Amino acid sequence: MNNLWDHTGAAGAGYAQPAPLVAESELNLATSLLRKEAPRWPRLSEPEMVRHYTNLSRRNFGIDTGFYPLGSCTMKHNPRVNEVIAQMPGICDVHPHQPEHHLQGLLAIFHEMQHMLAVCAGMDEVTLQPVAGAQGEFTAVRCIQEYFRERGEAQRTRIVVPDSAHGTNPASAAMAGFEIVEVPSTEDGRIDLQALEAVLDDTIAAMMITNPNTLGLFETDIAAASELVHGVGGQMYYDGANFNAIIGRTSPGLMGFDAVHYNLHKTFSQPHGGGGPGSGPIGVKAHLAPFLPGPVVDVRDAEAGERTVEAGRWFHWREPEHSIGKVQQWHGNAGAVLRCWAFYRRYGRDLRTMSEHAVLNANYLRHAIHREAKDAGVDHLFVDGARTDVAKHEFTLSMQPAKEALGVTAMDIAKGLLDMGYMAPTVYFPLVVPECLMIEPTETEAKDTLDRFAKDFVAVVGTDPATLHAAPVTTPVRRVDEVYAARNLCLRVPEDDL
Amino acid sequence: MVDQLPNLGREAEMLSAMGYTSMDDLFSDVPVDVRMQEDLPLRPSQTEEEIIADARRLLGANVPLGSMASFIGAGLYRNHVPAAVFQLVTRGEFLTAYTPYQAEVSQGMLQAMWEFQGLISELVGLPVANLSVYDGSSAAAEAITCAVRVHGRKATQKGVVYVSELVPPDRWSVIHNYTQGGGIELRKLRHLEDGTLDPASVAEAAGACAVYVEQPNPLGLLDASLVGVKDIVGEHTAFIVGVNPVSLGLYEAPGHYGADIVVGEGQPFGSPMTAGGPIYGIFACSNAYMRQMPGRIVGRTIDEDEQTAYCLTLSTREQHIRRHRATSNLCTNETLIALMGAMHMSLLGPEGVRALAVRNAAALHAVVDALQGVSGVELVHPDGHHFNEIAVRLPGTAADCITALEAHGVLPGFDLGRWSDDRADQLLVTATDQTRPEEIERLATAMAAWCAEVVA
Repeated sequence: MNNLWDHTGAAGAGYAQPAPLVAESELNLATSLLRKEAPRWPRLSEPEMVRHYTNLSRRNFGIDTGFYPLGSCTMKHNPRVNEVIAQMPGICDVHPHQPEHHLQGLLAIFHEMQHMLAVCAGMDEVTLQPVAGAQGEFTAVRCIQEYFRERGEAQRTRIVVPDSAHGTNPASAAMAGFEIVEVPSTEDGRIDLQALEAVLDDTIAAMMITNPNTLGLFETDIAAASELVHGVGGQMYYDGANFNAIIGRTSPGLMGFDAVHYNLHKTFSQPHGGGGPGSGPIGVKAHLAPFLPGPVVDVRDAEAGERTVEAGRWFHWREPEHSIGKVQQWHGNAGAVLRCWAFYRRYGRDLRTMSEHAVLNANYLRHAIHREAKDAGVDHLFVDGARTDVAKHEFTLSMQPAKEALGVTAMDIAKGLLDMGYMAPTVYFPLVVPECLMIEPTETEAKDTLDRFAKDFVAVVGTDPATLHAAPVTTPVRRVDEVYAARNLCLRVPEDDL
Repeated sequence: MVDQLPNLGREAEMLSAMGYTSMDDLFSDVPVDVRMQEDLPLRPSQTEEEIIADARRLLGANVPLGSMASFIGAGLYRNHVPAAVFQLVTRGEFLTAYTPYQAEVSQGMLQAMWEFQGLISELVGLPVANLSVYDGSSAAAEAITCAVRVHGRKATQKGVVYVSELVPPDRWSVIHNYTQGGGIELRKLRHLEDGTLDPASVAEAAGACAVYVEQPNPLGLLDASLVGVKDIVGEHTAFIVGVNPVSLGLYEAPGHYGADIVVGEGQPFGSPMTAGGPIYGIFACSNAYMRQMPGRIVGRTIDEDEQTAYCLTLSTREQHIRRHRATSNLCTNETLIALMGAMHMSLLGPEGVRALAVRNAAALHAVVDALQGVSGVELVHPDGHHFNEIAVRLPGTAADCITALEAHGVLPGFDLGRWSDDRADQLLVTATDQTRPEEIERLATAMAAWCAEVVA
């Protein structure tokens, strides 16, 4: 389809604006700095612009379009009331540096979210400032770093990360200046306690791990791992990417973790928006709380004359004593936190039921796929990515047998699923499973959808290899040439060099 | 909750299909000693209508800037986002999509982000732009680490970066957190009494890995001397400029006067202030920095039938491939807010963006005119050219002024004492395209009354 620059409106086309308060000729402009050439932007009238973006949206797939079993991403339904609330002037038209008495409603919402997140994770304090999961990881690792510097243990310069970890874990730790120690997983994808023990000493600052792990399995040895790491004086860091599986059933605190980040855009339904915005609060145990980025929201008894939103309670900002400072200039993605507050209110203590249904759906789908495959006689073409009786919120399949028998790869299956009208599962992650498909249905998919997907998945697996190699054929474009993109870099219009 | 979980009431049927009898069976792998034994001590669930009512009550207790005569900015700016932007951006195909890993069904967002890159690239005058980072502060921090990766070897001041001393402490803190791990030493780039860069300080920065300076600077001042910085610092020192992107409708693109990397807060294009987030950071650079830049980039390519298509490219810089050797840990970014920015920019066009910049300049002009008539208020940099905001010196503290003027329904600006103790009597007054004449009148009247009281 056309790109923006294919629209060739007359000069001045586009959004009509009121006249300036003072005529341009009277302005005292910095003449030596005036722009000589206008940016070569396209010119569109509103009807053209609306149609352009509407047509672009029709070439995009979201949860609203269809089933989105993208493992590790928790693509659940985004309740629409959250968007309605997020448009209210009490959030949109608010500046973070307004005085506290202008922001009591927002502070109350922040305080409630801090409390809820702390309770769910078994942590003592929470900051909502980090704006993405990776920034949350980085923030927590920085807090741990300052905690050790404060204690005179600056020799702790290494962080342990399992080989199945999400790439942001090692990247975040490295950004903070840590050396990465990668430990192998066992054959079934779980922590190898012996391998872990072998790398532990007093240079270890922390271990970063997610549970359930990236294969969708609960780390049954997690308490033992925590004990080992704590035994050498290290900290345990919980990557909350898979938190959707366990709320109300267990918590990072119970498992022995000292710090955790939450992905509000996964667990608490902040829409992912094609790549963001997210929100990545962190929770910590009391000993790390003085290092959190500030300010956090606290509450005190209201004084006479203060207009409260909750009787007798006054919400205020508080700077933690040894704060690492800021990771975002303002108070984080307040608009995302607000949406997730609305989501939380919808469940309250029934967040536990939410997690149970996420796990129910994943296990149900896993069983249905294996059953359908057996019935169709294609069960020899894939195997579980890891041996297990029950999965948690997601599970992995390895297409290695199909690759060996037919030359059909995980990517071929993914593209075949696109032709069936589904988003593909996550492919080739975690790296420890060959030809990996990682499937996460979430709690918001109906049984009927899961039944249909199981049948369609098996139909794709049974499709002849030539058809799969050529897939997809029903999508807006066919298989995209990524190598061509990298070799013939074209990152902009107009294409000429600046 | 009932309306969100489609399989409520079907649990037994689904469990029995797997040979289980209870939900507990699915959690049998959670060791007993880490199980949560009691219900979560949280409130009960609410319906949509109850949530809306509570949201109205709580958010209604906040004071939206539109309900006052407001002159607070300091990095975030009141704007008008055209109606079409909100209507389009909440389309589920954009709103509820993940990162476009499956390019064939993500062409819409990929193309929109490729177009965003082109719009930003043209605006700042550099050939490469990514599809957003978190905000202007992390953009500045990532620009610095990027520059150190590029110039680490040839720089004569190893690991040293000069950062404008006017950069607000909160942003400075973000930069510190992002750079301390890489052993980067931040030194202050000094400014003269009149607010412009100190040429001696710029000369000292020659041979460092980078210099970072903002245009307009955090006090709203435009500095013509930036045009000469690149020549002074030389080719092995990255010249990084932080911008207010609206100003570039009127003022020269830093890429046209030697900037190697341009960053900034994208918010005025497409996004309300939203209490400081989500907003989006702009990141653009010259070709020499492209392979060391953070974040995602979209490239135009072809599909199997040689039709035009788009996909993520240059991914080997990123964490999901390079892990701890990645250029950044950036994964989730601010795509949807950048999309709002692209929509806003596409509606403005080249003449519209200039008109928007003129409206901002004109509003500040009107505010300065009004304040110059107030006895007791002095401009901190009377000879400078400003955009969007200006620092004024008061006869009392800015904090007192803000408190006093509230009774008049006026929020007169930002207390610069929060940035620096020696500016406690300075107020940063911001005007934007949304500033109305009657608000300026109220500001001037209330300020005059307060000044008279303080002086007396």
